Amino acid sequence: MERRKFLGLGLAAVALVPASVSAFDFRKDKPDTWKAHKVDEAIKALYGDIKPEESGLSINVPKIASNGGAIPVGMKSDVQLKSLALFQDANPEAAVAAFTIPADVKTVNYMTKIKMAKSGEITLVGEGTDGKFYKVSKKLDVALGGCEG
Amino acid sequence: MANMKIKAKVKGDTLKCKVQMKHDMITYNIAKKKGVDANFITYVTGKIGDRIVFEASTSQFLSKNPIIKFEAPAEGVKKGDELTMYWKDLSGKEVTESKKVKGLK
Repeated sequence: MERRKFLGLGLAAVALVPASVSAFDFRKDKPDTWKAHKVDEAIKALYGDIKPEESGLSINVPKIASNGGAIPVGMKSDVQLKSLALFQDANPEAAVAAFTIPADVKTVNYMTKIKMAKSGEITLVGEGTDGKFYKVSKKLDVALGGCEG
Repeated sequence: MANMKIKAKVKGDTLKCKVQMKHDMITYNIAKKKGVDANFITYVTGKIGDRIVFEASTSQFLSKNPIIKFEAPAEGVKKGDELTMYWKDLSGKEVTESKKVKGLK
């Protein structure tokens, strides 16, 4: 009987695992986002027709990027988010990355390095757990284009 | 450890991670010029055990050998736990590497 009980526990544990995995591949589920050439179109393809508030998020980029091949972009939020997407308008396509925020992350603090072919505007759009959308944009100058985008 | 550099550290109640992925991140434009196939990382996850601490879908506009820094709550992370990073690129190559989380007693 001991063995039977043990096996039962094992099954229960296996059944619980999928619930905690939130795997969501934006490239598979929202393929149009990555083909859009304009930021607005990309946002529409990803989130639909939304009216984001201009608050809650912040972008941290250098005013002038000396090397367009690797521009550090810091992304922060004051609000709890479900997902976060990064766009820019200097490259042929607008979308750079889309993040799925784990449910236990209260405020986002991410950084990544991106490529930009020329000076432009970086836009960050977040979907809050409260159902609202948040947005922030920031312009920056690129001194040396990042290996033709 | 050829494909990634991983650093994970707990500071206070925050898990701080920094990952560099070795990848050329060839955009469609460069691919056309050089006559090679475009290839870039499209999907990245970071896990501690079964818990996802980071998940992103990415495009060709991340820099070459892209760096990602992220933070997550350190709650539940124990000494000896490992941060497992996984990425997949356009050609279908998949890489998984782990590193022990530092800063825990």
